[in-house]
Amino acid sequence: MAHSSPSPPPASSASSASVNPLDGVSAAQTADFAVLDDPQEWLAFGKPLDASVDASDPFPDSTSPSTTWQSQVTVQGMHCAACALTVERAMTALPGVVQAQVNAATGRAQVVWRSGQIKPSDWMGAVQAAGYGILPANDASLVDQRKTEERRALWRWLVAALCMMQVMMYAYPTYSALPGDMSTDSLHLMHWAGWVLTLPLLFFSCWPFFESAWRDLTHRSISMDLPVALGLLVTFGVSTAATFDPNGVFGDEVYFDSMSMFVFFLLSARWLEQRLKNRTAGALDVLMNRLPESVERRGQNGEPNQRVALRELRVGDEVRVLPGEAFPADGEVLSGDTWADEALLTGESAPVHYAPGSSTTSGAHNLQSAVWIRVLRLGKDTRLAAIVDLMSQAALEKPRLAQLADRVATPFLWLVLLAALLAAVFGWRVSPNHGLMVAVSVLIVTCPCALSLATPVAMLAAAGRLARGGVLVQHLQALETLAGVDRVVFDKTGTLTQDALHIDQIWVRPGVTREQALSAGAALAAHSLHPLSRALVKYSEASTPVSSGCSGSKKERHGVSAPMEIKDVSETAGQGLSAAGGWRLGSAAWCHVDLSPGSLAGGPVAPGRHRVYLSDAQGWLATFEGAELLRPDAQATVQALKALGLSVALLSGDRPEAAKQVAAELGIAPDLAFGGCTPEDKLTQLQAWQKAGHRTLMVGDGFNDGPVLAGAQVSMAFGEAVPIARARSDMVLLSTQLLQVPRTVHLARRTLRVVKQNLIWAALYNALCVPLAILGYLPAWLAGLGMATSSLVVVLNAARLSWPGRAEHPLKS
Amino acid sequence: MDILFLLVPLSVVLVLAILAGLWWAVERGQFEGIEQEASRILQDD
Repeated sequence: MAHSSPSPPPASSASSASVNPLDGVSAAQTADFAVLDDPQEWLAFGKPLDASVDASDPFPDSTSPSTTWQSQVTVQGMHCAACALTVERAMTALPGVVQAQVNAATGRAQVVWRSGQIKPSDWMGAVQAAGYGILPANDASLVDQRKTEERRALWRWLVAALCMMQVMMYAYPTYSALPGDMSTDSLHLMHWAGWVLTLPLLFFSCWPFFESAWRDLTHRSISMDLPVALGLLVTFGVSTAATFDPNGVFGDEVYFDSMSMFVFFLLSARWLEQRLKNRTAGALDVLMNRLPESVERRGQNGEPNQRVALRELRVGDEVRVLPGEAFPADGEVLSGDTWADEALLTGESAPVHYAPGSSTTSGAHNLQSAVWIRVLRLGKDTRLAAIVDLMSQAALEKPRLAQLADRVATPFLWLVLLAALLAAVFGWRVSPNHGLMVAVSVLIVTCPCALSLATPVAMLAAAGRLARGGVLVQHLQALETLAGVDRVVFDKTGTLTQDALHIDQIWVRPGVTREQALSAGAALAAHSLHPLSRALVKYSEASTPVSSGCSGSKKERHGVSAPMEIKDVSETAGQGLSAAGGWRLGSAAWCHVDLSPGSLAGGPVAPGRHRVYLSDAQGWLATFEGAELLRPDAQATVQALKALGLSVALLSGDRPEAAKQVAAELGIAPDLAFGGCTPEDKLTQLQAWQKAGHRTLMVGDGFNDGPVLAGAQVSMAFGEAVPIARARSDMVLLSTQLLQVPRTVHLARRTLRVVKQNLIWAALYNALCVPLAILGYLPAWLAGLGMATSSLVVVLNAARLSWPGRAEHPLKS
Repeated sequence: MDILFLLVPLSVVLVLAILAGLWWAVERGQFEGIEQEASRILQDD
């Protein structure tokens, strides 16, 4: 199958607005919808409705009729059913859209459209113009699968419920009849009726237990379904014998009512647990809904370079890979010199040198400067498949506490089986019937499931809640560690301050116009992902004379037009960019600029102002100056973190005065704010704090703080972080709201509390109930009720974590 | 109370019939999308 897995959008300099799938879509995405006009993309989120059409060749002939497609999309920003109607009307108003069904509750829509008359970017653009965000639903097949599973679980539960009620009706007379009131024949009739109605229960509702127990036996392992299945079989066996052979060794008492009640309670608990898991998984899978990843490809025959979807690449294409992006294919470097990180592939964290002629590996991260490569081999396993794999692995990874619980659960289960056997042997002396039922009680009442469930359920609930708030948890263990953190370290540029620098002053060397300086600077800055470079590119796009007033026309953004071909660009972290011909863009020291008062370059920098300098072979060319704005919620975030008892620190690569000023504004203690740090400096400072006993959380965007993100106990990649930071950090903040940081810490603490509560409950319950059952005080139905209640308590306690509302952090009203 | 020997088996058959009906309902998706039905009244058509 030739479609690659979807991915988060690249942090490209051509469209520098941040994409936030949970808060609405930025204007830059209109251009990106064009990637979806490629018919090969349509299979990822839809299917053709005409059976006669060959789905693998959807290129319609100009003479043949167009194909009708049914596509699934997710719509963001709908608050009620009326919004759903608005979206529906926006789409059906377009010619070519046959039908649109939008569900406000689930946020999903199904659109039927004709490929010859309209393109996906058109009807997606219409939704966006109406004011709602829209993304292709690549997780549609997962949603379908889950729906089937849920249906089956519901059916099993309904069978259990109905059979339980009816069997109780038949059993009631046997309880309430006085001795002698009921004839033997009537008694046998009731038993028979109970037996018949327990059969559907056994075959439909109990099937998962038997399946799982069989799997355990064949693998020689043990899980909690084995005692349950044993208990069910023994009960049914004894009761069947009593029904058809009342004078036999197993007596004439039947237990169909206990059995069906027990199965009903257990299935109720499991159904709730399954719903919780599905909701969590659903929240995490929603992150799969992204626009396809794209890369810049050199245009053929004089056409401008274009960003194309990865799957459009062919062997022989020449593509440019910017620093921070991943190499999309195995290839050969044509021009440029850089270092790449192949750690995700080889495990080696030492960067590899790529020079013209060396071969690149698909999935490696470009660390330093942009390079042109020729594509030699295209792999199906792109970078993003690896990340998605990592994500799903993380969901299976078990945190420490859970592993501990599992280790206790296994010997415990063996003990339970042994205890049941002993109880049966001792009870046999009273009567075989009694002995077996005591054994059944022991088997059923124990709930090691509470032990095994305690941690995963809580962590999943918390992860799901966080995912809905825009925080992606990649390592569940991090939640546990986060609860014990006492210092939060922030990066400054791009994290505490907004990504977009507002450039409002330009100085140029006499003889050069502003437009020339701007286009030269932007051409150079296009090769970098640094926030200042991105700001420069955005500003230059915004001020091209063609489109005055609006932020760039569509045409401008589709292609990266390069009036000046800059060669041999290399970037030095923290300093700037350099290119062939003596071009330099970056800090004052890097560009050899004289900043004494009265100099043409703008004089000394005022505090709070940021500058990017451009110089060429003849010296200083231009200065671009702007102000960096703090994020609106930065101050509230720092206060909230302090209210949680954490100390806040700042490590910045920017000038010390800028760092101190930001610290003063936000309320960060001056001795915890450091400016002028290289990435190594940041790591050294962090390690010093860690040696002093602090457990740290690092929040950054991966730019100049990659090592310190890896070194902290818990790391959060913020917003549009460099892809490698997103892959390596424990959590990713997709919505660029700093307030999610204190909320996440608060939730992590609550999660740990809930896990401890669950473990204590599981231990107490088993310690109390197992002896009671061995001594024969627990009838089978009570044992069943106990087990189901126990796991329900654990699941509901964990579900509390995913309910919205109640003060999320100290500052929220 | 001999009539019970007819009624009880009849009730068993009835329960089995109800189970079949429930199967049909679940397979047809009758229990899904419940929230959407409440807002149907707001639609124009």
